Amino acid sequence: MIFIAIVLGCIIGALIGINAPIIPYTYSGYLAIAIIAALDSVFGGIASTLKKNFDLKIFVSGFFGNAILSILLTYLGQRLNVDIYLAAIVVFVGRMFNNLAIIRRYYLEKFVKYRKIQKEKIVEYEGKNQSENAQKKEIKK
Amino acid sequence: MKKKQIAITLGIMCFILTIALCIQIKTMNEASSAASRTLADNDLRDQVLKWKEKYDNIYNTLKEKQKKLEEVRTEATQNDTLASAKEEQLKKNNIILGLTDVRGDGIIIEVADGNPESFLATINPSNVLVHYNDLLNLVNELNNAGAEAIEINGQRIVNTSSITCEGTVIKVNGEKIGSPFVIKAIGSQGLLYGSITRAGSYIELIKDEGVQTNVIKEDDIYIEKYKGVLNYEYLKPISKK
Repeated sequence: MIFIAIVLGCIIGALIGINAPIIPYTYSGYLAIAIIAALDSVFGGIASTLKKNFDLKIFVSGFFGNAILSILLTYLGQRLNVDIYLAAIVVFVGRMFNNLAIIRRYYLEKFVKYRKIQKEKIVEYEGKNQSENAQKKEIKK
Repeated sequence: MKKKQIAITLGIMCFILTIALCIQIKTMNEASSAASRTLADNDLRDQVLKWKEKYDNIYNTLKEKQKKLEEVRTEATQNDTLASAKEEQLKKNNIILGLTDVRGDGIIIEVADGNPESFLATINPSNVLVHYNDLLNLVNELNNAGAEAIEINGQRIVNTSSITCEGTVIKVNGEKIGSPFVIKAIGSQGLLYGSITRAGSYIELIKDEGVQTNVIKEDDIYIEKYKGVLNYEYLKPISKK
């Protein structure tokens, strides 16, 4: 369900984005840092959904708050001639990798569990067959 | 219910995110294709783009303001006969100064660099090129024949115009232009055509040197206004006593 919603949102967004007008080059730096912040928030949201401690308020405020804050920081950095946006990128991308690790582990565990259950089923089935064969042999005797 | 809410929010967020991503990618594509080939330095490219943007914005606002001024002027002179006479005079003066778009019958001269592998070019390659003094001479001949408005590659010739040589390019009104040159002139068609193509005229001279030339009569030529600003700081009229 969540996966379908994400894919649907991405497709519609891409369709509109392709037809959207381009922004002035001056502001593209700010948009880039906002995109990184938003990407971090989305991955955080997915990870927290998997961990089952998702909070809508925290997620929405984080999405917009982080984006706006990072834009303001970038602007401040430009005024002061310090590349503050580098710090923002390091933090966001670092968190992004953390969240990706959580997502990866969740699905890996699920997969391993699934394989285990399947193996057990096969073993059970074979065991049954063997016992049945043994019974048949006894009857023949 | 809660899961549905989560799904919808995540979907909306992804929607916003992808829109922003697409816009950003498109912007970067546009920016890199426009200027990155010749200017390797990132900072320089940034600055050039910024200045270009600023220039475009300011030019647009100037256009808007001029339109507004025109509107205000027409409004103010609607009910006043004296003012409307002044308005007529102002319009006429603007046409003379080259500050309005004009149209009329005239001729079009096309001059272009000749074939660099032709026989004439092997003698002296400089001969087949169009130089700034060629344009100057042509403009002089046109003015001499009574041209009322002249334009070279979109640059209107007004009384402050300059035609200069800047190494490999020619600058008219401070804007770079290159071959082929299209010179439009409004005036008496017969007079202009006759004086430009007469035997021994300047265009005949450069044609013999290997420059490609073409002169045609054209009805209803459209000539754009002068894009710069005419500033007079030191001029003062003398009042007669």
